[in-house]
Amino acid sequence: MAIVTTNSTLAFFDRSLGQMNGLRATLERLQTQIATGQRIERGSEDPAAASRLRSLLRSERLGEVEADNAAKLEQDLTVASDEIGRVSEILIRVRELAVQAASDTQGPDARAVIAEEIEQLNEELFARSNAQTLTGEPLFAGTSGGPAYTRDASGTVTYSGNLEEGTVPAGPGIEVARGIAGPQIFEFDLGGTPTSAFAVMADLSTALRSTTADPSAAATSAIAGLDEALDTATRSQTVLGTRVAWVEALQQNQIDRSITLAEQRSEVGDTDIAEAITQLQQTLTALEASQATFSRVSSLTLFNAI
Amino acid sequence: MMPSALLNIGRTGAAAARAGIELTAQNIANADNQDYARRTLARSEIVLSATIDLNPVESLGGVRVSAINRSGDEFLQIEARDSNSDLASAQAEISGLRGAETALEQSQVYETLVGLEAALTRLESDPLDPTLRTLALETARQASDTFGIADRALGTARGLVQTEITVGVEQINNLATRLAAINADLVGTRDGSARQAELFDARDAALRGLSDELGITVVLDDFGVAEVRLAGSPSELLVQQATASTLTTAFAADGTATLAVNGQAVTPASGAMAGRQAALEAQAAAQTELDAVALSLVSGANAAQTGGVDINGNAGQPLFSGSSAGTITLALSDPDQIATAPAGSPAGSRNTGALGNLIAAIGADTGPVTGFDGLLNGVSSRIAGLETRREGLAIVADSARAQLLAQTGVDLDTEAANLVRLQQAFEASSRVMQVATELFDTILALR
Repeated sequence: MAIVTTNSTLAFFDRSLGQMNGLRATLERLQTQIATGQRIERGSEDPAAASRLRSLLRSERLGEVEADNAAKLEQDLTVASDEIGRVSEILIRVRELAVQAASDTQGPDARAVIAEEIEQLNEELFARSNAQTLTGEPLFAGTSGGPAYTRDASGTVTYSGNLEEGTVPAGPGIEVARGIAGPQIFEFDLGGTPTSAFAVMADLSTALRSTTADPSAAATSAIAGLDEALDTATRSQTVLGTRVAWVEALQQNQIDRSITLAEQRSEVGDTDIAEAITQLQQTLTALEASQATFSRVSSLTLFNAI
Repeated sequence: MMPSALLNIGRTGAAAARAGIELTAQNIANADNQDYARRTLARSEIVLSATIDLNPVESLGGVRVSAINRSGDEFLQIEARDSNSDLASAQAEISGLRGAETALEQSQVYETLVGLEAALTRLESDPLDPTLRTLALETARQASDTFGIADRALGTARGLVQTEITVGVEQINNLATRLAAINADLVGTRDGSARQAELFDARDAALRGLSDELGITVVLDDFGVAEVRLAGSPSELLVQQATASTLTTAFAADGTATLAVNGQAVTPASGAMAGRQAALEAQAAAQTELDAVALSLVSGANAAQTGGVDINGNAGQPLFSGSSAGTITLALSDPDQIATAPAGSPAGSRNTGALGNLIAAIGADTGPVTGFDGLLNGVSSRIAGLETRREGLAIVADSARAQLLAQTGVDLDTEAANLVRLQQAFEASSRVMQVATELFDTILALR
């Protein structure tokens, strides 16, 4: 049987329809890309880019939380630093009072007044040691949730927190110490014996009130303890200051990082509007042209001539 | 020569032209019929010859319609069918996998896992904050819920493909039965008849329908009777003479489908059935992987939890229960029960050792976030690969079909030309009859 090739009408319509459908599908995809701003509608359109988008999304989400954590941490560290500043002021005032009390010209009444003020200041120091963050957590208790310092019936102040500093994630793989434990601020060794600012102040006020011992000598010896207490508190404040600076640097990093991430995400996943619109116009032109030619070619039938 | 013979010649010519016009009309009427193959009319000359007393006498008798031929080329048919089977296979597999992709993407498992990671990281900033604890617990509940959603959506996608397989099996059996009936009819049909051409059309349509669903090999005998075998292993007989085999399907516990012809297990090489089987296998693999991701979340989170103490200093309890995407549920009811501090810590500890382990378990390279990303990536990449293959196969199938249509399709321009030609032939034959009549009249007028 000889092969007869004809220009099958059905084939022509099929082919034309298929071509126009293809153009229409392209148009619809471009239209969706422009309308949603997303280049990728389903993962299978570009699996590698979709996976990259997922990991960028994750980095962005975690970055946001880390930025919040860093902001809160900066707040806490600043509050702690301010509190230690007050502690230093108290210690400086107590030292002034001790110097005054050490003077032989002070009579017992004057010393009693000084003792009174030192007791008040000790009270304030105790309150500062139990300072809280803006969210109500103890600042100087380590990772313990309870009060940092407690006072028993006899007036002895003891540390009831722990020495763990605890860390807060403030960046990918970056953990920043949450704060500073009370003993690093209030406790120190004096002549080989561990003591605390509370004890030094309590001893001083007791000595100033006592009538038997030599109060001015006691005041003189307390000055050494107060100097040590001030040093300790100042050291802690410096540590906190450097941590605040570190967190601020991290925050700047986070801002830069989030901008980079947003840029990358836009690059990978967003529609390039200029390109999409150009392509849309091109496809529209092609579709209109093929519709026009289709209607002209399909009307070319011999039946019109007979 | 007798004028009556001339009249007869004119009559046969007019009849043949008329038959031709009828057939042209039939072609035009069926121009849009996918299953119709263009018909042509075969004519043969009538010569009356006789021998009387050793004197051969011949007389021209005109023309007669000898057969209705149906255009078509068996090789082009085979090519069209085979390329169609391959395309149908790729298309069915893509469609099934798309169901799985949609189930996994739209259930938002990845987003929720990242959300859980973020909520836990936020909790690290202030582990005793009741608001942050509640937020973390609720995000964990959401994570376990989305696994359930993904599981059900995957099950729905699987159910759809299984329904397609069941419907497909029914279709195949119907087509095979129809083909067997056509085979039986073909044996008793006169060669070159319109009925035979019609049966050939029906046979090719049934074969095309079969090839959509299953890859087949076809052998035609002298009558045009089709013997159909499965292209696959083993190549079981589907239709022989007037007998059709029965295709059956069964679904395994993991959702994959097996096919059997007359009880003999078979594996089709192409066709939509093969694609659906492949899709079900891929879906079963995705289900296994999804379950593994859910299990990695359960075991990772629970190990971190039980290695710590909660806000009251009690030993941490498992965060999730269950062992697969369908069974994972939140086991804790009170936000205070989230274990943030390491074992041995007192009540109210702000140590985040255990919480850190929990976050690390979720974000680990072997953890659920990476696992789910890998799962999505695997399914998407497979679809993208198949899509490329499908585009190639579509071009092959289109060109095979275009070639076949060029062979068998109706060209309206040709038919229009035929119409004019045959009309003229009819008019010419009528004229011959008129001439014959005039001749007869001339003879009668002789005096």
